[in-house]
Amino acid sequence: MRSRRRGSGSTGIRRPARNERIRGRADGIGRGGQLLIEAGHFALALALGLSVIQMVVPFWGARTNDPVLMGVGAPAAIGVFALVLFSFGVLTYAYVTSDFSLMNVYANSHSQKPMIYKVTGVWGNHEGSMLLWILILALFGALVAIARNAVPPKLRANTIAVQGSVTIAFLLFMLLTSNPFERIDPAPFEGRDLNPILQDIGLAIHPPLLYIGYVGFSITFAFAMAALIEGKIDAVWARAVRPWTLGAWLFLTLGISMGSYWAYYELGWGGWWFWDPVENASLLPWILGTALIHSTVVMEKRDALKIWTILLAILTFSLSLMGTFLVRSGVLTSVHAFAVDPDRGVYILAILVFFIGGSLALFAWRAPLLRQGGIFAPVSREGALVVNNLFLATACATVLIGTLYPLALEAVTGAKISVGPPFFNATFVPLMVPLLLLLPFGQVMAWKRGDMNGVAQRLAGAILISVVLTVIIYGFTYGGPVAAPLGVGLGIFLIVGSFNEIVTRSFTSGSGFRDAMRKARGLPRSTWGTVTAHAGVGVMVIGIAATAWSTERIVTMRPGDVQHVGGAYSVRLDSVFPRTGPNFQEDVARMTVFRGDRAIGQEETSKRFFPARNMPTTQAGLHTVGFSQVYLSFGEPQPDGSLGLRLYYKPLILLIWIGTLFMGLGAGIAMSDRRFRVGAPVRAKRDESASGTAPAPAE
Amino acid sequence: MTRKQRRLTLIGVTGAVLAISLGLVLFAMRDTIVFFRAPSDIAAQGVDEGVRFRLGGLVEDGSIRRETGQIHYFRVTDGGASIEVRYQGLLPDLFREGQGVVTEGAVDGSGLFRADTVLARHDENYMPREVADALKAQGLWQHGDPAPGTQ
Amino acid sequence: MSIWILFILMTAATIMAVLWPLSRPRTAFGPTSAGEGERLFYEEQLQEIDRDLARGMFSPEEAASAKAEAARRLIRADARREAGDKSLDEPALRRRRATSALALSAIPLVALAIYGAQGSPEMPGQPLSERMQPMTAGSELDMDQAVARIESHLQQNPEDGQGWEVIAPVYVRMGRFDDAAAAYQRALRYLGEDADRLANFGEALVMASEGIVSSSAREAFEGALEHDSRHPKARFFLATAAQQDGDEDVALDRYRSLLADSAPDAPWVEVVRRRIANLEGADAPPADAGDAAGAGAIAGMVSGLAERLASEGGSADEWGRLVRSYAVLGQETRAAEALADARRALAGDSEAIAHVEDVAREAGIDRE
Repeated sequence: MRSRRRGSGSTGIRRPARNERIRGRADGIGRGGQLLIEAGHFALALALGLSVIQMVVPFWGARTNDPVLMGVGAPAAIGVFALVLFSFGVLTYAYVTSDFSLMNVYANSHSQKPMIYKVTGVWGNHEGSMLLWILILALFGALVAIARNAVPPKLRANTIAVQGSVTIAFLLFMLLTSNPFERIDPAPFEGRDLNPILQDIGLAIHPPLLYIGYVGFSITFAFAMAALIEGKIDAVWARAVRPWTLGAWLFLTLGISMGSYWAYYELGWGGWWFWDPVENASLLPWILGTALIHSTVVMEKRDALKIWTILLAILTFSLSLMGTFLVRSGVLTSVHAFAVDPDRGVYILAILVFFIGGSLALFAWRAPLLRQGGIFAPVSREGALVVNNLFLATACATVLIGTLYPLALEAVTGAKISVGPPFFNATFVPLMVPLLLLLPFGQVMAWKRGDMNGVAQRLAGAILISVVLTVIIYGFTYGGPVAAPLGVGLGIFLIVGSFNEIVTRSFTSGSGFRDAMRKARGLPRSTWGTVTAHAGVGVMVIGIAATAWSTERIVTMRPGDVQHVGGAYSVRLDSVFPRTGPNFQEDVARMTVFRGDRAIGQEETSKRFFPARNMPTTQAGLHTVGFSQVYLSFGEPQPDGSLGLRLYYKPLILLIWIGTLFMGLGAGIAMSDRRFRVGAPVRAKRDESASGTAPAPAE
Repeated sequence: MTRKQRRLTLIGVTGAVLAISLGLVLFAMRDTIVFFRAPSDIAAQGVDEGVRFRLGGLVEDGSIRRETGQIHYFRVTDGGASIEVRYQGLLPDLFREGQGVVTEGAVDGSGLFRADTVLARHDENYMPREVADALKAQGLWQHGDPAPGTQ
Repeated sequence: MSIWILFILMTAATIMAVLWPLSRPRTAFGPTSAGEGERLFYEEQLQEIDRDLARGMFSPEEAASAKAEAARRLIRADARREAGDKSLDEPALRRRRATSALALSAIPLVALAIYGAQGSPEMPGQPLSERMQPMTAGSELDMDQAVARIESHLQQNPEDGQGWEVIAPVYVRMGRFDDAAAAYQRALRYLGEDADRLANFGEALVMASEGIVSSSAREAFEGALEHDSRHPKARFFLATAAQQDGDEDVALDRYRSLLADSAPDAPWVEVVRRRIANLEGADAPPADAGDAAGAGAIAGMVSGLAERLASEGGSADEWGRLVRSYAVLGQETRAAEALADARRALAGDSEAIAHVEDVAREAGIDRE
């Protein structure tokens, strides 16, 4: 065996002894694709060399104000992306063709796997996911290089340089500690891993989305560093950064949402958020990213909050890095796993310290040089956005404490504690409620100096509607949990309050409906994006509040038995039978769902057993009615021959994920705003009729 | 309003929010955090009746008893000592004899641990972190293969 | 095409990505000069304030002051634009040359350093489909294929104990002792325990731990004796275990009783005799490694030797021993291969090659 083997994602893998020589075998194989694998490996090494150029030359060009040197940054960034893309393609090819002469393929694939999971298996393991991470990093670098929006050349050059430095760090990490192109000689004839839990389409596309989000914030970070290096940060900077922030946030939102839905239907517990450290690791950059989106608005419009925005950009990416570290180093699974593969953990920790420490040091050094921006009164749009940032940053801090405190405590005192959902419910939720209550107020507030009376007048309708609806809902559900109607009322307030902005801006007394529609269409896309995203928050809040009405019953049933689930729904157990799948055996419970006396559908829930991995999983049966679901989960056979089952009624539960889709949609709409799209404002005027032909920055 | 007043307002609001959140965190830390204990810890130090904690270890071989009404009795051991646990409800997929398990609840007057939560992970290699440490303290488990169950 | 030519082409293309923009007079990227974009930005911001005013996002007097702020920034940006950028001058040319030098040196150096340390340029890609086609190579490959088929069958039907039982000895022969032990273990689980299976399992464990009878192996042998108290393999390894523990009296007892129960022509008799002799005679030479753990261990030792020779090389004597060992084990293909390997490894030393060839002839491995 040529290359060193390190502990890879899966365990217990052994290479066969080398005494089975296969010298000369190459002669019998067609030449096609023979050199491909090593070319893919070499491309990564070349990408590292080119990243050095990408870091050094544009930076030097910006220092010396030399446009030619600055111009090197763009092709270098594109070249790095092309090389990494090639390399990623080669690895995918190796997975698809089951080339087990790659350690990584051998350890994580199997020739019998369905094609889709061969492809998703590329990033279903540590080495491959690092390559995906770097691919996305290089992609963003290349996008900055080709984006034709109005970014000052120096800022662009420095940004590309900083992005290059991040790429170097991660390429080195991957090549030295987790190289996906390690070879085995001789190659085994069959791969080792067929992990059934990873063979789920939801879990397969969740990491790429999450990574695009995480890594997208590296661009914001690079922009912030570039601004600090240059010592110049202003509204132009904010506009340049905004589409990137929105894009990263969009993907992070979708990634988290998909992970949550996967946990909901796959784990069979009916929960959708567990405050698990891995989940928190993705939520933390999301919260700060949300704050960043809002603070860049202030900066772009009013040239204020500069220092804070830069700090947020740094911290958001730092939390993304920390999330990677926590998940990748194994610290979360076990403090000791860190020591099992120390070079990997230590290296990520070193990257973490270098980038977070370095950027904060640069921040401390350069931030005082930044010029004070526009001024505003406490009661104003700016003030409202400051409050938003204040609450979000504080909420982020509490989640961070809850996530890291157990690790810190164990490291210091050895005492083991668990910080579970009760902690986060008692800290995060009380911070979110006032923020959401204030949200519609901020949305109608004027810039610079707001007018409380005017705001109250504009929102009077929305307040009235939500209060009335809350009271009505409370009346209908009298005797149920009080928090639920209040939460639903809050959600309604958010939705109505958001659209209130469109309505009050478009309809003016005396003008007709057609006129109003024309005005509404004329509103900037960013306004529509804001409205959509905020309404999405409202939709999600309704879904979350409605979980207070959900019911859970643990029952034992025999075929023919009928049990009430919740609401108007009940189920009958029709039959229980065994069945054999492609690589599992399962016990299936077939059930009929009733609404009142009427059968409305049949669902199956099963317990699968994967003999290859000696591993059981539960497949929940979900019956969707509108936005609500009846959730059936196979339990265990009882000693008396009956079957234990969990039955849940989840009213309006789907609104949680539908709400996040609207949030993402809102970010997408805002990204498409003309101001971010066009090359330069002057061109925008010229091309107004033909707008939409200009290339978008980050799509 | 002068610049100074604006700044004071900002600092005041920030301070208030931070103070509230700090209060929330401290309050929540006191009430919602549960400690982890292994059977030998309890055998050595004892534990007060009614105090909630997490108990972790291996499900002792041959100790599982089921009664109707989905009531389960089993013993959790770390090699040094073992404790009888009662749990009503459905057990997770990977609950098996000889497997690591974490339960949450409190000890009643008779020394029986009444659990209201039983956790086991969805991965045959996964050993809950606390359990692994407790077993190692008892010399029962060598650190061979901690398969991180993530991603 | 040699892989190195490909690498050179890739490197050249990469370097071109850097040199190409350097050779162009004005960059195609970075469309506007420093101040230009900013001026346009602030001009648009002024218009935006007007639009916001119309929609009630500003009170009239605040809009006026916001416009004043934006206008001030516009003037500053204009001033920067006046300053202009530098055109091509002498230091700029020097910088370009330095950049070219950097690109020409750093990219190949970094790439070679990293790839040189990590890469395996001599290895071809080996997609499974191509490898599965019948090929010119000899029987060994067929065995690999057969193993692969059984493995994929077992992946699908992991409860097929018979399959595990079939593949386990194959693994032993291939030197994959860990896999062999695992396979026997599964065979035990699905087919139940009997003396042979337990003893074979124990033997695989012993070979996996390089001849040491571990406690789990000992349990397996003791289990085998429960089924068949006279099972020779189990008794042999239990005696070995005692010997390894330094418990020489027990070891001697066990060897002697095994010898007493064995037919005189049983294959292990010779080894057992020698061990007894070693244990009895205080000054007898230490047991030759060759008989350390019976016939199975010989295969293990041979494979160890082959591995060492392949990775580190060795003397003509060692190569000769490897060839002879394969011949003795009846693995003539391998013996021939080992001979070919030896010729390659010892190329240039005709005396050494002659020696190995002599040995091969004696052992009956004589082609060419």
